[in-house]
Amino acid sequence: MEPLLLLAFVVALYMAWNIGANDVANAFGTPVGSGAITFRMALVLAAVFEFSGAFFAGGNVTDTIRGNIVYPELFAADPKVFAIGMLAALLGASIWLNLATYLSQPVSTTHAIIGAVIGFGVVAMGPAAIQWHKMGAIASSWIISPLVGAFFSFLIYHILLRHVLHHTRPIARAQIAVPLGLGAMTCVMFYSILQAYYPRALHIPKSQGCWLALGTAVVMANLIGVAVWAIMKRRCNPDKPLGEHSADVERFFSRVQVLDACYLSFAHGANDVANAVGPVVGILQGLRGTVATQAVIPAWVLALGGFGIVLGLATYGYKVLEAVGHKITEVTPTRGFAAEFSTATTVLVCSLLGLPVSTTFVLVGAIMGVGFARGFGAIDLRVVRRIFVSWVVTLPASALLAIVIFKILSIWYL
Amino acid sequence: MKSLATLFGESPFEHIVEHARKIHECVNLVRPITEALLAGDMKRLEELQNLMSDTEFEGDKIKDAIRQNLSRRFMLPVSREDILTFVRQLDRMGDDAEDYAVVATFRKIELPPDLRQDFTGLVDKIIQTSEALLNLAEEMARLQKDAFEGSEAERVLEKIQDVCHLEWESDKISRSLARRYYSLPGIDPLTVMILDKLCRTLTGIADHAENVGKSLRLMIMRH
Repeated sequence: MEPLLLLAFVVALYMAWNIGANDVANAFGTPVGSGAITFRMALVLAAVFEFSGAFFAGGNVTDTIRGNIVYPELFAADPKVFAIGMLAALLGASIWLNLATYLSQPVSTTHAIIGAVIGFGVVAMGPAAIQWHKMGAIASSWIISPLVGAFFSFLIYHILLRHVLHHTRPIARAQIAVPLGLGAMTCVMFYSILQAYYPRALHIPKSQGCWLALGTAVVMANLIGVAVWAIMKRRCNPDKPLGEHSADVERFFSRVQVLDACYLSFAHGANDVANAVGPVVGILQGLRGTVATQAVIPAWVLALGGFGIVLGLATYGYKVLEAVGHKITEVTPTRGFAAEFSTATTVLVCSLLGLPVSTTFVLVGAIMGVGFARGFGAIDLRVVRRIFVSWVVTLPASALLAIVIFKILSIWYL
Repeated sequence: MKSLATLFGESPFEHIVEHARKIHECVNLVRPITEALLAGDMKRLEELQNLMSDTEFEGDKIKDAIRQNLSRRFMLPVSREDILTFVRQLDRMGDDAEDYAVVATFRKIELPPDLRQDFTGLVDKIIQTSEALLNLAEEMARLQKDAFEGSEAERVLEKIQDVCHLEWESDKISRSLARRYYSLPGIDPLTVMILDKLCRTLTGIADHAENVGKSLRLMIMRH
């Protein structure tokens, strides 16, 4: 069975590589484009935060991909089938990704892997093997998450316009808005990390760990918020002539946007690492014959996924970032903040709920939200439609590929 | 993802300003044409008419480019219809300016000295209106970057009122001018006809400028 495991690692690494290569520009395209940070710095930050997200907060979604799409218990009698199936899913999804990238179609790793897992489940054990009610929840999260992202970013941008940028004292208002935004980011990020960390490290029940995590996160958020507020209080002058305010506020937000991009990278790592390593956990369980038990996700598997993502952005992601950064100059810091903040928050909340969503989808939704607030000159709806269509096509396509590969692998190994 | 960069289409607002600039260039030609007309320099009028039709043609090209970028493919911050109205009315300003240039070449006229001041006054007012409109269009493009909100938007709305006022003033001048050339004893009837046509094209420019301003107002106010 060793070659199977080796193959699984290689394919998982490839999946993670894909995630890193294609999606890093999502988060860091705008700060690099607006010149808020250097290209090199963006790569370093992206690597650190993608990895942290994957390693510290990637567990919930990983568990979903492993155990909440098909019923792993059904495979208790023959765990090898589960391992082969998960490997087939991983292979099918990555082949589809490769094909789609070759045809330069936008494609989501999330949808690819889930379609593939469903595909193998249906063929291996029949439609009853799929946890349809949970799939229903996941599918609705795919529809709802971009809508929430859009609504949220519309709201944030609208509030920024009304109550900060076009207020009579924009700098004074920004002194409140910036710490609030940073505090909110800190809160969600710390909570995501700690809710997984506390129960494990302190050996306390999960619910208790969550409350403790929430408490710590709120304290941290307040600390950060107050610190930023104090710094801004000292450094900026709200009594400048009104004409200079707008540029100042944009400059504050261009700094915030760098942190915003880190936040989005973190969220992305947390949600998307599962697409690569979720099946690996399943394969490990299948090979050890422990499919029916609650999986403890080995930290090194998440680390492997995180490493793959970093590898992807180091070897190819930088090219995409370079290409995107120059093109999206229309995204001013406040607009970028609104879109990225709401995307990251939506995605992180989904990660906490164990819902695998597509970061790109949510981001497109959030950009359109800013568009609804009249923030952009022109948004090309054809591109939006193309992303949507490729989503619809991805599910059956990767399912089909997984089925074919499952059949082939079955001949050899079962 | 690379497709994210393609999500942002070409904004029509830059082209709108470009169009307004070109049309203002046309309207600006009215002044040298008037000077040549008063001097009776038919050769110069001919040249200026050629220049005018070239400039107007360039304006048409920009207009077509804007229209092509207005497909339903794009989600815009203003209504598509308002942009179309804006472009159409701007185009008609250009047409009227071109008509003025053409009518001026029809016949060498001798403008009675009493009418000269009022006539050049009307021309000045028209150019002033067009200038105010160009400023508006430029502010509009800046306003788009602010999502059409805030005190800036209020100020642009007030300036639209100024364009309407200039139109009203030019109407007033042209009416009093008409009363005078129709009642001036001993004036050549053919001169009156030419004068009347010239004044109509001039007030036409102001009329359309007012409509452009109104379409701008709709863009700012409604989504």
